[in-house]
Amino acid sequence: MSSSNPGLKTRREFLRTTVLGGALSWTVPAFVARTFAEFDVPATNDTQVATGKDSPILVILQMAGGNDGLNTVVPYANDHYRRARARIGLRPEAVLKLNDELGLHPGLKGLRELFGEGNLAIIQGVGYPNPNRSHFRSTDIWQTASDANKFEKHGWVGRYFDNSCRGQDPTVGIVISRQMPLAFASNNPKGICLDNPENYRFGSGDTGDVLIEPSEESLRELNRPEMEGESAEANSGASVGAVSGTMRPHGSVLDYVERTALDAQVSSEQIHEITRKVTNQASYPGGQLANSLRLVARMIGGSMPTRIYYVSQGGYDTHTNQVPTQARLLQELGDSVKAFVEDLKAQGNFDRVMLMTFSEFGRRVAENANAGTDHGAAAPMFIAGSKVKAGLLGTYPSLAPDELLNGDLKYTVDFRSVYAAVLEGWLKTASASVLGRKFEPLQIL
Amino acid sequence: MRMLKALSAAKWNFTTAAHLLNRAGFGGTPDEIERLTAMGLDEAVSHLVDYDKIPDPTPDPDWARPDPDRMEKFLAFREMNQALKGASDGKRKELEEKRREMQREQRQTQQQHLLELRGWWLERMVKGPRPLQEKLTLFWHGHFATSTQKVREAYFMWLQNETFRRHAMGNWLQLLTAVAKDPAMLIWLDQAESRKQHPNENFAREVMELFALGEGHYTEQDITEAARALTGWSLNRVQQKFEYRSAIHDAGLKTVLGRSGNLTGNDVLEQIVAQPQAARFICAKLWSYFAAENPPDELVSALADRFRLGTSHFRPLLETMFRSEEFYAPEVIRTQVKSPTQWLVSSVRMLERDLPPPMMTSNCLRQLGQDLFAPPNVKGWDGGVAWITTNNLLNRYNFASFLVLGRNAMPSVMAAAGRPEQANRMQQRLNWINNRAVPVDAGRLFPAELRKDHDTFIAALGKRFLQTQMRQKQTTALREFLENEGEMDDEVVLNAVRLVMSTPEFQLT
Repeated sequence: MSSSNPGLKTRREFLRTTVLGGALSWTVPAFVARTFAEFDVPATNDTQVATGKDSPILVILQMAGGNDGLNTVVPYANDHYRRARARIGLRPEAVLKLNDELGLHPGLKGLRELFGEGNLAIIQGVGYPNPNRSHFRSTDIWQTASDANKFEKHGWVGRYFDNSCRGQDPTVGIVISRQMPLAFASNNPKGICLDNPENYRFGSGDTGDVLIEPSEESLRELNRPEMEGESAEANSGASVGAVSGTMRPHGSVLDYVERTALDAQVSSEQIHEITRKVTNQASYPGGQLANSLRLVARMIGGSMPTRIYYVSQGGYDTHTNQVPTQARLLQELGDSVKAFVEDLKAQGNFDRVMLMTFSEFGRRVAENANAGTDHGAAAPMFIAGSKVKAGLLGTYPSLAPDELLNGDLKYTVDFRSVYAAVLEGWLKTASASVLGRKFEPLQIL
Repeated sequence: MRMLKALSAAKWNFTTAAHLLNRAGFGGTPDEIERLTAMGLDEAVSHLVDYDKIPDPTPDPDWARPDPDRMEKFLAFREMNQALKGASDGKRKELEEKRREMQREQRQTQQQHLLELRGWWLERMVKGPRPLQEKLTLFWHGHFATSTQKVREAYFMWLQNETFRRHAMGNWLQLLTAVAKDPAMLIWLDQAESRKQHPNENFAREVMELFALGEGHYTEQDITEAARALTGWSLNRVQQKFEYRSAIHDAGLKTVLGRSGNLTGNDVLEQIVAQPQAARFICAKLWSYFAAENPPDELVSALADRFRLGTSHFRPLLETMFRSEEFYAPEVIRTQVKSPTQWLVSSVRMLERDLPPPMMTSNCLRQLGQDLFAPPNVKGWDGGVAWITTNNLLNRYNFASFLVLGRNAMPSVMAAAGRPEQANRMQQRLNWINNRAVPVDAGRLFPAELRKDHDTFIAALGKRFLQTQMRQKQTTALREFLENEGEMDDEVVLNAVRLVMSTPEFQLT
């Protein structure tokens, strides 16, 4: 229908007339309306958008591999620490002091600055009962917010979407990665993932008002969902609100793939539009994490309707020769987060963004024979934001040998009470249904 | 109603034959499907199932044997560690450097072997004479999901792969026992670390929960006692094989799943497989893999009865499955999401092209979410619709373009961004990977008689790539594409192929 119509030359027009004008009654109305608006078509109805300009945004940053918390928030004055870390311990003069007992790893200059500005909360001793030392299992536990002996199919973010974001835009959650983390698994899968915006393209991926090749138009046509009687209604120019029609029954596998194809197509268009329009206003360091945050900042600046972004940084599994590896990673972390915050401030969006880090576990208190550390338990979390209760929260676990659990720090804060605080205080939603039961929210705001 | 009746001869045709080849194997060309159709149902099924009659001359990878220098390497490491203890600071630096070098070399060798192993297996899937055996091997790999991330030894991953292959159609207890004693599993679920004083429950738990019974069909007590019974099953790391060590075996009294005595590991596995739930569990999982997810209860019962009748061997069960009416039900045909491996292998087969080199295919499968020999965790891949995310779908379309046309989006993106030189280099690299610029022989797939008019060509496209008639919408879109392009030269034909592979329909089988 399209290629034979000489009037249809641009991708915008193509999308507008065939994808949006044609046949989307079954897909989420808010999503369509939003996308419609995104492509400069005068909105004829007032469908609510997924997130308004002022809605809060959460950025989850996974430090994969199990970050050594003891050398991150360092109890530099503690004798037990010095004894347990004879080779890899950080000296008092090296750390970025927070108070008379604790200091940050010297690589975390960026975070130390945020701390000084009152934009960083450090939660000490976060973990859970019966800690598991397997990367996989412990990551699953953090992602599903389950008890250590329970296997959950769905993630805590996914359950939040199920409970609070029904019928919203698929871009309500965006993962900067190849795969969806278990945290996003849900009854009604939502959220998109992309690892590289250059590759996140439908077809050959040319953007903007260039002529598109016939094969690209056909690609779109072949991926367009079908509806009964479509030939009569296509290109009728109906407004979104007026589009209606019976579709094939919901819930078939083909239906699901078609819907994902449409999500992929429209979100890739959205993202390219935004990455073309929005530029970063801070200078980021190199590295994968910085690139991810850079992209997230642009998407926030471009008003994506996203509530939760998920980024990750790997490499923290430092069994051998830990010092240089962790220094490089933490430097990257601190500098990237700092740049991200600067970027958001310049956009005027920092007040609506909270960034939270987590790692599947900390490491043993005692260093090992290879100048590294093995899998342990409790560790700190960082929360950055202008509204957070800045400072050191919770209690640092005791390092006294007789107060350790199998050589590990005993947790003082259950990570689910942090999630509860984020859900209730920041995302403004009930936490018990997301977390399976009531956890007393930690006062982070 | 009696279940699992054989499909009537009247319903055996190109579509049902294609379905059998897609599910019991990795699909094929129209010619292959026609040959299967001509055989009739019984012969076609037996052709796939009785694969042990077909010789498979595939040689093992040349490194796939115990490392003869293992002992020496162990000693060298131990010596080095000992030397490190007493070393002065200067000497220590030197020794540490040397140790790092040794470790780096070893890691590189392992990575190289793993890459070869992936290529070796994919090659078997694409070209091997026993597609069902490879399809089952893939099933068992997902079922007993073991990752090289922890095993860290390509030889062990290969050994386990061979164990799956050898027992693929055999007896359940024999397979379970062989897998439990394989070095890869001994390492993966920590059985090798388990001893009388500290029984490790990892394997004991997963064998009940994930491998053989499912949640709710055992107690925590069963796990604790089974773990005790399994102590002694260990690994000889020098000889790189299973070793029973009576000194660490707990010979005391235990009770597992209602059976009491001085139980051993064998007793435990025997007792597990003897549970009525064991047959139901594995039959349901096989049906989900080969036919459709969530089989109804009565179907599972019928399958389990058949399984027990065949003394818990998989061959008779699969034969019954592949001949049954239920297997060819309309709600089963073309409703399964292709796994990334299925997508890649069947695409290569339908395109009659060579498998790209392992570097490329490994990367492709990783990006599509199925890194072979590295499942995400002991539960394996979720499969089904979980294979499809927006990112994965775009990657599938992009890889399809590479498989068919020898190019992907990157060069044109780069060219559009004003980086023509980079675009050029990128394309050259792709050509090198494919060995030639255009990797598919359009003339062989679609000779002149299939290009005589648009309708003939579109029908041939549907037959080869979807094994069915296309929907009206697809036909219309393709016809318009062809009308716009004019002459049906090879470039246009391959572009049409790429379009068909870049549809939601093509992701299903």
